[in-house]
Amino acid sequence: MRKSLVLTLAMSAVMLISAIGISAATRKATIRVEGMKCANCSGSVKKALKATAGVETVEVNHQTQEAVIEYDDTKVTEVRLREVINSTGFKAVEE
Amino acid sequence: MAQTRKPPELKLKDITGRQVRLSDYRGKIVLLNFWATWCPPCRAEIPDLIRLQREYHSAGLRVIGVTYPPQTLPEVKEFFRKHKMNYPVAIGNKANKLLFTESESLPMTIVIGANGSVKDIIEGILLPEEFEQKIKPLLKKPLGESK
Repeated sequence: MRKSLVLTLAMSAVMLISAIGISAATRKATIRVEGMKCANCSGSVKKALKATAGVETVEVNHQTQEAVIEYDDTKVTEVRLREVINSTGFKAVEE
Repeated sequence: MAQTRKPPELKLKDITGRQVRLSDYRGKIVLLNFWATWCPPCRAEIPDLIRLQREYHSAGLRVIGVTYPPQTLPEVKEFFRKHKMNYPVAIGNKANKLLFTESESLPMTIVIGANGSVKDIIEGILLPEEFEQKIKPLLKKPLGESK
């Protein structure tokens, strides 16, 4: 009984640590991007972000003027993501 | 998108009035860059194209810019002068781009090999890793570098 309780607690601890580890590494940023007027524009931003190390998923919408990015925060920062957007000729708006 | 088909002949006049004919570039690796002054990503990649033209000229790289409408000659001349562009730029039209692709993306860079065939079509800004992987292997190696 005691042994199984210890085992359960140990497994719970491992699962909790794993979950914390994942949430600490993967983050989501929603960045407003000024100047995108067509789907081709959002395509350039998406291409540059996707090629950035640490970026996991990217959705860029020229109608909402937003880029939604999931990224590994041990590999890339939101500041760097903004720099990448700015390098495509558009402007990542600071909010 | 890897391509190998022969390029159609493209004959245009650059903004100084000189004729630019794709077939005159046989033996060179040509980056045929479709762009426009009103296109933010196109403007953003121009400094990189200027640098590539300068750094890899001796390795056989040649950049040619072809504008996409709506675009006027004075706008392009002004942009060319302001950014000190070091490669020929011609005023193009939709049909020029359609010779290579139906995609409406801008910028769009057509990579043409030494034998004149289309090696690749790069949609959007030419990223450094795309240059390394898709274009650099086509260039002549500098003296002293093996293979």
